[in-house]
Amino acid sequence: MTEFIEGPLWYFALAVFLIGVAWRMFAIFRSGSKPDFSVPRRSAAVSAVMTSLRRFVPRREMSPRIRLHVVAGYMFHLGLFTLLLFAAPHVEFLQEHLLGFGWTPIPYWAFIVTSQIAFAGLLLLWLHRLLNPVTRLISDADDHVAAVLTFVVMLTGCLALMEAFTGLRVLHRFTVELLMIYFPFSRLMHAFTFIPSRAYTGAWFGRRGVDA
Amino acid sequence: MNNNNPRRISSSPGALCSALMALFALMLALPFAAQATDGGTVPAAKVVNPGAELWREVRQREAPAAGTSQVQGMDSGVLINTYGEQWRQFRMQQLIPAAGVLIGAVLGLILLYHLIKRGVPLEAGRAGNYLLRFKEIDRILHWYVASVFIFLAVTGLILLTGRVVLIPVFGHEVFSVIASASKEGHNLFGPLFLLGVIGLFIRFVSKNFPGKGDIGWLLKAGGFLGGKHPSAGFFNAGEKIWFWLVIFVGLTISATGLILEFPFFGQDRPMMELSLVLHGVGAVLLVAGLFGHIYVGSAGMEGSLESMTTGYVDVNWARQHHDQWAETCEEAGAVIAGEELAKKQRLRGTKNRVPDRPVAEGGQ
Repeated sequence: MTEFIEGPLWYFALAVFLIGVAWRMFAIFRSGSKPDFSVPRRSAAVSAVMTSLRRFVPRREMSPRIRLHVVAGYMFHLGLFTLLLFAAPHVEFLQEHLLGFGWTPIPYWAFIVTSQIAFAGLLLLWLHRLLNPVTRLISDADDHVAAVLTFVVMLTGCLALMEAFTGLRVLHRFTVELLMIYFPFSRLMHAFTFIPSRAYTGAWFGRRGVDA
Repeated sequence: MNNNNPRRISSSPGALCSALMALFALMLALPFAAQATDGGTVPAAKVVNPGAELWREVRQREAPAAGTSQVQGMDSGVLINTYGEQWRQFRMQQLIPAAGVLIGAVLGLILLYHLIKRGVPLEAGRAGNYLLRFKEIDRILHWYVASVFIFLAVTGLILLTGRVVLIPVFGHEVFSVIASASKEGHNLFGPLFLLGVIGLFIRFVSKNFPGKGDIGWLLKAGGFLGGKHPSAGFFNAGEKIWFWLVIFVGLTISATGLILEFPFFGQDRPMMELSLVLHGVGAVLLVAGLFGHIYVGSAGMEGSLESMTTGYVDVNWARQHHDQWAETCEEAGAVIAGEELAKKQRLRGTKNRVPDRPVAEGGQ
């Protein structure tokens, strides 16, 4: 079991993830856009950049209504990517198995605090999705599977933190591989599409003189 | 087939909770297979400790002897802490059996009550009109604390009773994996519970001070004695007691948990042992109370769970269980018709909506 999870299944999951993400991104960019012959009122490129940046901060009119969503969203996403890129076992793994070089990981206490922030953020986001009538209405099984899978990956990683048992480490590896296989077919793709999406919207509206 | 039943909504958190628990069980089961393939057990060689007599003499002293040592640190001058054995005896012979009896008794009483009384029905049926009981932020906070506490309860009970309950079933090797995972998870989620308890205090303290009707509610045991349901405001006396129990015991187990989790602020061994006892006793009390809370908030009282899923309760439910609050709301014109509520929540046309008309005879 251990050999299978750390061997063939790992390479399969990596292949599905890389090819799947590349294929989805290629399909998006290949779809292109309709030719626009109108005289541009503003630079589309500048608007694309501005909208990409502006959307990191909620609009003032919306702020009071989505405060929890925004705070929990930042807690979860920043926490998750800090863990993904700076947790000591991850840096070591990337250095040994993928990149050949590493960087300074965060200390143990920072790992604990970051994972607590990320867990709290994910839990609050998921509860908001379930309890708010609007987000509940627009959510489907994909959203819930993605949330549960991400939660389980984070949890198994933290349970294996002591690295005292092979079984716990392998369990974490297994859940990561499940997530990698699921990733390209789900809304988790927003990790790669959110910038192109914002940029396209910004460029389209910016060309017409509208701040999106 | 009426798709308007709010129970369809109410069942989702439970189902998701069950799914989480199933995933957790799967997660715990997988390492067993991995461990099993790592090889069979090798019988340990018996080695007689040549210093056994010496250590027995040291251990049987009246009190820990304070010696001197080059090692700087708390308790570094103590050769053997003889209180440790007393604490171990208390934990194994009193705390763990008492925890089992208390939790078992509460579950047994709930089951017995449900088999005899079948819970508390809505006496006047559903009115089809609603009152907002809990805002979205309150419900999110409630389920946040509930999720974290259930995780802590499961991992904590594994750590407390695992030697007695799990080792005979799974054996030492498998239990060591489960215990290691439980310890990491328990330590990680502990501080998240503290934040939740503080949040509960901030949001709900104003409604949980003693008030009119609380004594009467307690004298009638919430309606168990005397037949007629006693009068109550937004929260009845039972809910207020549960609130303060969660706050005080929750803060106690959080504080003692932090003392145990971060043992480098000068706390000595007796302090750690006392913390562990308080932590264990408090947690078992809360777990026992939690079973009662879950029952009363779901199968034990018709219409209760909706207050923590949709946030709205039927007017007849409010009149039956919280008549003072219902009266205030009705006087203020806060009653929302089912139709209006369905539009407000934009759930029309979906399967997860609040009923928009009376669903029982006798409703208004």
